[in-house]
Amino acid sequence: MESHYFFPPATAYPLNRFLFALKSNNAVRERYAAEPEPTMREHGLDEDARSALREGNRDRLVALGAHPYLVFMAQVRLSMARDPGNFEYF
Amino acid sequence: MPLVAAFALPHTPQLLVRPPTEDRELVLRVHAAFAEVKRRLTSARPDVIAVIAGDHIEGFFLNAVPALAVFVGTRAAGEFGRYRYGFDVHEPLARAIVEQGIEGGFDLTYSQDVPLDYAFYVPLHFAMPQPQVPIVPLYVNVYLPPQPAPRRCYAWGQALRRILDARVERVALIASGGLSHYPGTDRYSSPDYDFDRALLTSLVEGRGAETARLTGEELDKAGNVELRTWITLLGAVGAARAEVLCYEPSWHHGNAAVAWPL
Repeated sequence: MESHYFFPPATAYPLNRFLFALKSNNAVRERYAAEPEPTMREHGLDEDARSALREGNRDRLVALGAHPYLVFMAQVRLSMARDPGNFEYF
Repeated sequence: MPLVAAFALPHTPQLLVRPPTEDRELVLRVHAAFAEVKRRLTSARPDVIAVIAGDHIEGFFLNAVPALAVFVGTRAAGEFGRYRYGFDVHEPLARAIVEQGIEGGFDLTYSQDVPLDYAFYVPLHFAMPQPQVPIVPLYVNVYLPPQPAPRRCYAWGQALRRILDARVERVALIASGGLSHYPGTDRYSSPDYDFDRALLTSLVEGRGAETARLTGEELDKAGNVELRTWITLLGAVGAARAEVLCYEPSWHHGNAAVAWPL
């Protein structure tokens, strides 16, 4: 069985770099929310990666070499930014 | 000064910022365990809290992937949603850990500039004594293969204990991580709670050293890649018997809080 967390293939570096920015960089996340297509192109993502992100398709992203955790947390942070009222803060 | 306290705690961000998917009562029961840890930490009067945590690709990225790292700065800061965290770092202890760790054969990475991961500040949010105590962030790579072998983590914990026991400061140790969960994968909603329960039983019986014989493959399979932080702490506490303060399996995460009476 393939491990859940696998060695990130170097070919997926631009995609992983972008997911890292989405979850860690507020400015990139805001820009992506406002203008997804130019933001993805500026980060050097190819059409496969762009369409997987457009669909929010985790399985496709992971198949392209995205780290599952980065996909997960990028989605969490996008969702927290989109619907802040949906969360209880302790 | 021998270690004054040791705990292993969960850090799942849903404990800090709860989405509607999470059972509020369960979250509050984990908070009660954090409160008990805070009470015990306060009475242990530590001068510094060393926190062993896995980086969630928050601080370190693929430009450099340290297996074991120490934050040697003056202040560690991180943010999550509307929260902004800042902790003083006990630089003399952090530096001693790096110097003596390397001298002892552990080729540690150090950083003076890395954002603090939520694995550090979620437990500290709930369990940090007031007034705040300086920390030393100790990193173990858990999410970016190849990760350090469990036996190496255990050996690092043993070496860490020798370093800490020789210091004048009163040091408390917290491992942050686990238990079973599979974020970002198809198994997210079916963690391996049997693994967790067997593990907790072995810790209560003082058999923590057995974790050093686990393989990386077994940890990945059980959704316990983060157990490396606990294994590091187990190297430091040896055969001390654990006390389980809570085990609260949610629909996606085995939340465990454990104390080691020293």
